[in-house]
Amino acid sequence: MFPYIAGRLFESIIVLLVLSFAVYGLIGLMPGDPIDLMIQGDPKLTPADAKRLKALHGLDQPILDRYLAWLGNAMQGDFGYSRNHSKPAIDVIAGGIGNTVLLLGISLILSLAIAVPVGVYAALRPYSKTDYIVNLACFAGISMPPFWLALLLIILFAVVLKWLPAGGMETVGDGSFLDRLHHLVLPVITLTIASVGDFTRFIRASMLQTLRYDFIRTARAKGLSMTRVVTGHALRNALLPLVTIVGLSFGRLFSGALITETMFAWHGMGKMIYDAILGNDYNLALIGLLFATGLTLIGNFLADAGYVWLDPRVSLAGREQQQ
Amino acid sequence: MRRIGLALIFLLGVTFPAAAKDTLVIGISQFPRNFNPNIESMLAKSYVLAMARRQLTVYDADWKLVCLLCTVLPSYENGRAVNELTADGKPGIAVTYTIHPDAVWGDGVPITTKDVQFTVEAGQNRKSGFGNSELYKRITKVEAKDDKTFTLHVNKRTCDYAGIADLGLLPAHIERPNFADPAEYRHRSAYETDTTNPGLWYGPYRVSKVVAGSYIALEQNPKWWGKKPAFKRIIVKAIENTAALTANLLSGDIDYIAGELGLTVDQALAFQKRHGDTFDFTYKPGLIYEHIDLNLDNPVFADVRVRRALLHAMDRDAINQQLFQGHQPVAHGQTNPLDEVYEPEISKYAYDPKRAKELLAAAGWSQMRKGVRHNAKGERLQLELMTTAGNKSRELIQQVLQSQLRQVGVDLRIRNEPARVFFGDTVSYRKFRDMAMFAWISAPRNIPRTTLHSDQIPSADNGWSGQNYTGFKNPEIDTVIEDMETVCGEKENLALWSRLQRIYSEALPVLPLYFRANAYIVPKWLKGIVPTGHQFSSALWIENWHAEQ
Amino acid sequence: MSRPQSIARRMGRRFLQHRLAVGSLVALLLLALLSIGAPVAESLLGLDSETTNLFQRSQPPSFEHPLGTDEIGRDLLLRLLHGGRVSLAVAVAAALASAIIGTAIGVFAGYYGGRFDAILMRFTDGVISLPLLPLLIVLAAIDLSKLGLPDSVTQSEDVSLYRIIAIISVVGWTTVARLVRAETLTLKQREFVRAAVAQGATGGRIMRVHILPNAVSPIIVATTLSVGNIILFESVLSFLGLGIQPPVASWGNMLTNAQELIWSAPQLAVWPGLLIFVTVIAFNFLGDGLQDALDPRAAD
Repeated sequence: MFPYIAGRLFESIIVLLVLSFAVYGLIGLMPGDPIDLMIQGDPKLTPADAKRLKALHGLDQPILDRYLAWLGNAMQGDFGYSRNHSKPAIDVIAGGIGNTVLLLGISLILSLAIAVPVGVYAALRPYSKTDYIVNLACFAGISMPPFWLALLLIILFAVVLKWLPAGGMETVGDGSFLDRLHHLVLPVITLTIASVGDFTRFIRASMLQTLRYDFIRTARAKGLSMTRVVTGHALRNALLPLVTIVGLSFGRLFSGALITETMFAWHGMGKMIYDAILGNDYNLALIGLLFATGLTLIGNFLADAGYVWLDPRVSLAGREQQQ
Repeated sequence: MRRIGLALIFLLGVTFPAAAKDTLVIGISQFPRNFNPNIESMLAKSYVLAMARRQLTVYDADWKLVCLLCTVLPSYENGRAVNELTADGKPGIAVTYTIHPDAVWGDGVPITTKDVQFTVEAGQNRKSGFGNSELYKRITKVEAKDDKTFTLHVNKRTCDYAGIADLGLLPAHIERPNFADPAEYRHRSAYETDTTNPGLWYGPYRVSKVVAGSYIALEQNPKWWGKKPAFKRIIVKAIENTAALTANLLSGDIDYIAGELGLTVDQALAFQKRHGDTFDFTYKPGLIYEHIDLNLDNPVFADVRVRRALLHAMDRDAINQQLFQGHQPVAHGQTNPLDEVYEPEISKYAYDPKRAKELLAAAGWSQMRKGVRHNAKGERLQLELMTTAGNKSRELIQQVLQSQLRQVGVDLRIRNEPARVFFGDTVSYRKFRDMAMFAWISAPRNIPRTTLHSDQIPSADNGWSGQNYTGFKNPEIDTVIEDMETVCGEKENLALWSRLQRIYSEALPVLPLYFRANAYIVPKWLKGIVPTGHQFSSALWIENWHAEQ
Repeated sequence: MSRPQSIARRMGRRFLQHRLAVGSLVALLLLALLSIGAPVAESLLGLDSETTNLFQRSQPPSFEHPLGTDEIGRDLLLRLLHGGRVSLAVAVAAALASAIIGTAIGVFAGYYGGRFDAILMRFTDGVISLPLLPLLIVLAAIDLSKLGLPDSVTQSEDVSLYRIIAIISVVGWTTVARLVRAETLTLKQREFVRAAVAQGATGGRIMRVHILPNAVSPIIVATTLSVGNIILFESVLSFLGLGIQPPVASWGNMLTNAQELIWSAPQLAVWPGLLIFVTVIAFNFLGDGLQDALDPRAAD
């Protein structure tokens, strides 16, 4: 087990390294810079000023030199200043990580808490009326563009019913736990609706498939109750694809968070990274993306580990067998 | 499961009391990324800072230069402006200002000439990262007469000598230690590290809390020497998505959407249709000139008849009336009719498709094939119109123009790019093949040297500096512009402005479209907001805002 | 093993039993037909989808404009038909391309395993975590004429369409790859594959005959789901200003533009929203039905 983890860790570091360079290169490849936009907005700012400012931010240096300098500093734990916020990049991102993780975490847990029982329930009664309704509900959730869903929810709950705040993270001057929770409701609902359908569908599909396996039939034939069969044997198997999907969705959730955060003026990482990329804020974009990438890699790793735990037929040592 | 349900109901049921009228919540579409007044100019920042700082001089709502922090504007008549020669014998000028005698920083320390000296010193240091450095480059010396009165020696004599809005005063007693290493100043500045320090602010309000990406709270500044503002607190909330912004207004989460950076006119009009009774809507046309730059190096545009024909084929009046309900007036040139230097007697190109067709035919585009004009060489009259992707107003207008130009046999193709690519690469390196649509934001009486003078055509030779993106070369315009900067007699100066506008409208280096307006969506009870229509925002007079039941 | 013909017949029968899937297929075919037939509709109505009329903005349905007009006076029905054409074509093309790439990579990685698998999977991880955004902006900014593409392509207004298909297929194959690999890993341990190996079958043959047919149902589920997802993704890209560019209509950019008009002309948002909704649902049901029909283990 340990050499396997060490191997995966090593691979992940390589991925991170390659990725950091890819990100740096991609941002560098984007023509233009926000400084160019400033000229348009300020009649007195001259192109000479723009040039001076670009030099100040090191933008006139070759991209490889800048990257290596960044890498050198990053190795020593110095991730530099966010150019747009004039603050250490790590401080800026720290302000967003908590908010995003809170948002994503709650909605992920909520989605799973809904998806697993509902999916299993539907799978046990395939093609029944309940199953159709569950399917329809899942598809309805998946089929809404997230920004549109968010807008409809805001209109319904904030404008028409006035039950919930339309956006932001706290009432100014309040900021109590309850108040923050109150502000979380709509963004969490949005994210949950968008992701719960996929999860439920996968649970249902893999449960259906599992129930057809011989060992399930055998268990049933031995006289075990359906509940025993499901909780004892089938669920374990059925969770396999879900583990993959959840592992993969770490990264995807971040892009979902971008939309949700924008619509609800939620100060999180998705929005922060987006703005940083568009703003050529290399240090902030890099640290944000590396963090998000790290999460995705961890998710993938957990997915693989989950596979082993759930399906003993797949061995981690499978790789050695081949050699 | 039931517990979750109960918790949800509980959460939904909780309603918080609406904000009392001693707090005003303003919605804007962008969050200021940083707070130092001199580093990076950004609309959201200058809007918020206008409540907590006051420039020495600004343009007011009547587009007149006025003193905010100074006592009187320098002029030759009052002896505060004196011509002099620079060290190398060029015409220079010395201008004298006096800081308001009661002016103090929020921590009680008086604002003095020391602060002016420090600010100029910081601005002149190339490493300090100040955005607009033109003023600092021109100042050769700051001479402090006493604690409150100072004289600036400026090495370039221009007619707009009295305005020094770009001098963003910094508190020397707080910022000088942070300036020890100029290259690190933008990171160490107290405006970033200690934003709520009262000593940084000297307006009717001071910044009391910043929740990054969400809101900025401002409270009354007890040391403010001017008129006491009506609201105890101001909250500025940033909501980027405009649909969400309007929803927040309706739900009561915000009171007012700022015109300076809120909705575009078409968005506001759409909102007004349903909610016109609930709010007051004010549309203020401003110094934002939407136009189409033509690449004059393109042989198609070499013939002025083609340029005029294109303008004749565009029904700009219908665009204004139908899309903007008359709130974004048609531009006939780059000078706004509200500007005192506007010349009404210039060539105007009304919607006249027949005339457009005649002009095009006369210019050699006479053969129609499948509805598109071709010339004798068999070339197709196909033009590419570029603008910033995702700007909905512009995209709509583009599509309307495409449709209108098709009526006269011009095949207009639309190709848009993200703003930073469009401005940073395509426009500034003159890479657009035919036409580029964007806006110039300017100040009253702003001399268009960078956009019209022939030495301002970006090229590899001048390091791609200058903003004459069309490549317009007109010797007479060059002379007029040079004279405008130095011939300051009001009558002579106005004559030059008039001349400039006449040549511009004849030669038509760019196709003028309209002047953009700002849309202010104000609750019925909120009074006292006076839109300015230029870069100095209405928030500079926030002490006049008040609630009226 | 029964003869292929009867297998196909049985699959067809099973599919027909899934009424929602059949209904979805019919609905999708109808939508596709209508979209393809947009030019016919144009000539029937005597209108075209790009002619604006500033004096007929946001009109309610009338005889002349069956669904009314949009915010600059274009016929909404024709815009929707053209938009459907674009949205469907982009989604189907991108989903197919992604599925092909993903299947190839997944099955090779899963079957050969070892270092080969590790490299491919780390590559997949990398692509999954690749930030889409800078990639999109860079791709949106590349000067296509410099890549040697003919003027007819670079000057075309459809160019944003090709870009999006390319971008989605370049990054979208990872889900299928992971699923196929996982399936392959499981199948590889199954008796019939082991038997085939023991009998000396070549790797290519095992993958083709034994693994891929058994892995086909997750591929199909993932691909049909992804068609829906891509339609949604396209609308999100439009929301970010990076999607299909005007004047080309797509349901995504029509919906994005309409969100600002939600107060004054909600019908402009309802139609594209509804079509996206219906199409995505239909693709999902279709995938569902196909899964039931294709799954060899499914009960008859």
